[in-house]
Amino acid sequence: MQQTSDPTEASGAPLKIRTFTSMGTVISLALVPDGPAAGQAADDELAAALAVVERLFRDLDETFSLYRPDSEASRLARGELTLPRASDIMRDLYAEAHDWRLRTEGAFSPERPDGVLDLSGLVKGHAIREAGTSLLALGRRNWCLNAGGDVLAGGSPVPGSGEPWRAGIVDPGNRGSLVAAYPLAAAGRHLALATSGSAERGDHIWRQHGRPAEFSQVSVAAADIVTADILATAVVSGGTPMLDRAADGWDAAILAVRTDGSLVATPSFRR
Amino acid sequence: MKTRGTVAAAVASAGILLAGWQAGTQAGGTSIITATGTTAEGSGGASGTNGSAPHSATTKGTTSGTTAAGTFTGAAVQTRFGSVQVQITVAGGTITDVTALHLTDDDRKSIQISNRAAPVLRSEVLAAQSADVQTVSGATVTSGAYLTSLQAAIDAANL
Amino acid sequence: MTIQLPQAQAGPATRGPAARPGRDGNGFAVQHRRRLLRADLLTVVAWASVAAAVALWLSDGGLAAAATPAGAVTAAGIVAGLVGMDLVLLMLLLAARIPLVDRTVGHDRALGFHRKLGKPSLYLLLAHGLLIAVGYGMAAGLDPVSEAIALWSLVPDMWLAYISMVLFVAVVVTSLVAVRRRFPYEFWYAVHLLTYAAVGTAIPHQFSVGGLFAEGTWQRWYWAALCLATGAALLYFRVVQPIAATNRHRLSVVRVEQAAPGVVNIVMKGRALDRLAGTGGRFLIWRFLAQGMWWHPHPFSLSAEPVVLAADGTGTLRITVRNLGSGSGGLVRLRTGTRVAVAGPYGLFGTAARTRDKVVLMGAGIGITPLRALLESTPFAPGQATVLLRGHSDRELYLSHEILELCRLRGARLFHLTGPRDKGQSGWLPDDAVHSGYSLTSYVPDAADADIYICGPSAWAGNVIADATAAGVPATQIHHERFDW
Repeated sequence: MQQTSDPTEASGAPLKIRTFTSMGTVISLALVPDGPAAGQAADDELAAALAVVERLFRDLDETFSLYRPDSEASRLARGELTLPRASDIMRDLYAEAHDWRLRTEGAFSPERPDGVLDLSGLVKGHAIREAGTSLLALGRRNWCLNAGGDVLAGGSPVPGSGEPWRAGIVDPGNRGSLVAAYPLAAAGRHLALATSGSAERGDHIWRQHGRPAEFSQVSVAAADIVTADILATAVVSGGTPMLDRAADGWDAAILAVRTDGSLVATPSFRR
Repeated sequence: MKTRGTVAAAVASAGILLAGWQAGTQAGGTSIITATGTTAEGSGGASGTNGSAPHSATTKGTTSGTTAAGTFTGAAVQTRFGSVQVQITVAGGTITDVTALHLTDDDRKSIQISNRAAPVLRSEVLAAQSADVQTVSGATVTSGAYLTSLQAAIDAANL
Repeated sequence: MTIQLPQAQAGPATRGPAARPGRDGNGFAVQHRRRLLRADLLTVVAWASVAAAVALWLSDGGLAAAATPAGAVTAAGIVAGLVGMDLVLLMLLLAARIPLVDRTVGHDRALGFHRKLGKPSLYLLLAHGLLIAVGYGMAAGLDPVSEAIALWSLVPDMWLAYISMVLFVAVVVTSLVAVRRRFPYEFWYAVHLLTYAAVGTAIPHQFSVGGLFAEGTWQRWYWAALCLATGAALLYFRVVQPIAATNRHRLSVVRVEQAAPGVVNIVMKGRALDRLAGTGGRFLIWRFLAQGMWWHPHPFSLSAEPVVLAADGTGTLRITVRNLGSGSGGLVRLRTGTRVAVAGPYGLFGTAARTRDKVVLMGAGIGITPLRALLESTPFAPGQATVLLRGHSDRELYLSHEILELCRLRGARLFHLTGPRDKGQSGWLPDDAVHSGYSLTSYVPDAADADIYICGPSAWAGNVIADATAAGVPATQIHHERFDW
């Protein structure tokens, strides 16, 4: 990938980005120092924030990874542990996942087709949500967290300007280009943007319910990242009926790319 | 005589393919809200590029001179989502607002909609070059695929 | 030995429904032009259906989806599948014995097209499976084999499509082998029944998988209509019509008599036989409803016009059969009263194929017998017809007495060509005739201006066709029916 960009060039604000790997993907944290902080101080602030976020992701991954045989989720999957005796966080997320299953009329489900409990559809969103809360608790106001393509932002890339973070949405037909963009926090509403594709997890072109996927990619912008993430997943699996339910039932902006490359969007995504 | 059959078959086939291609181009660009016809002369007609369903507009607002202003209501258009009627508000020669008036589907006879998803052209969505964005959203990128992603390019530029 | 008859003064007026075109001078030319027009229309429809299959995909915005390499491969797979299935449907329609097709291109030419489409449609269907697996695999980052397994296990109806693919391969391969090895007709028939299973298992995934035929699209309606129409045509023309014809004619065997050594006349009585008048030359499919015989269909032509005894069409008809072959052997032992199921008539080997006022009928061996009925019914003016009968000896010129009588009555020239076959190139004539320098034009000087009906073993018929072509007879005037299938 030869494309480079320097979005801060015009504004002069020293945007800094650090990355780490967790949950099988790469997490990028972009931070803008408040005020004219010196280089070293800004770096320290970033390092401290990054350490908090990274720790949070690692802890959740240790509990929920089905790739780690010793994780709580794996022991639960093998039947060595029952849900009533599981940790609080496990039971909380399980309850939340079930709540989402009801609200999406089954389009989102915390269980794999083979019956194994798989909360990974929720855990990443939860980790981003917790990371955002931690950043705010640390007093960081202007930041943007991207975990494998799901984005949560706070403040602005240019502190004090009210300018929104601009998030691009990858074109599923050509991953080197963008199909659209969305301003995060433009109106202070949608700070989160999540994208799901039909090519994830071996589900590819087809939906689980036996009909082909209508959408190759669905992006949802919402006030919180878990809602955005789950609705995106649900629309990919539930097709147009779920898209209409999501648009009607949630304060969300949705852009769906059909398998033929054409677009379906709610009004907020239009120019 | 054999030539006649072959030629006729070739012409018919070409015609059918052309019709299919034409339909395909339109289907790919199906849009119930189009940005052409931003100026309306006198009678105030707003026209759509969707050839199969031209919007025959009726003027409800005032029109004056070559630059029209007012509210235009399009004809009901059949979409895969049901029947949609569009109201366009024009001021100073440009469309300032587009509202879908009503949309019916199998379940609901007629509803006011505020946030319905509808087909749009790629040129009609909020667009950006990768240089204009600070972050990129996409279907989950594995750590292996990250290196070749747009996000990696942005991250690398801001280390 | 050669017999040449003096021309009779007046033949009987031509009769039956087939008599009409001959009355006015250029009647057969008009009939021929109409048939060519129909043939062109059928060609257009066939090609248009292929184009429409591609247009379905185009109209769904297919080109847009083909922008990426994976999309392009998938798109090629989709188009291959659409065209392949369309060709399969065309094959079924060609084999459905639809009267329009039958009267326009003839039964054996329709089956010729049917055979020609076999391999291309199989290749397209194989390409469809392969390209889809590769294209989807590319999109999902899987190798084609893993993708194929994923499709099998994840997608409903796909396992049926895989079975369909195996059946199609089996049908085409066994058909090709059967043609080469000359397996019995029953084997052929059983293999072709598999085709219905192959098509049947291919259909579900076309509608349940893939967005092109998603519910609510006009493409779905078109494709469903196409499949249903093909199925309906097969059902109607291959099942309903034969049952109706059997019920209408209520045929039963009256007697089986020896016509010559190894050749029998089977005389049947039945009703509404006036409807079979004028079908001389065309074949019907007979099933004798006796134990051990009912399942064996026999394609035979009438060897005489039906004899109608009453106004309701009650009467008798006759076929003449050589007592050979796996199924024909038992026909000698047919008992009086055996019920007979009949379907047809089929084929273009009859008056409907006429393009000229002059006609030449050439038969060899048992192939003489259909010409006997054609000679009785096809219209011609006295002196305009020539009959050439070929056999090793007089004894193989079956029904020659009847034919002689008909030629006298109608004013046709008759030649008996007997003797051993010449080893040379134009092997249709007896040895001595070739050595005397005879060819087709020796017997029929104006052959180039006549319709030539040829019925006999395929090697012999091939030699006749070569001679006729050399004599300047256009291909449209040469009518040949395979009868040794």
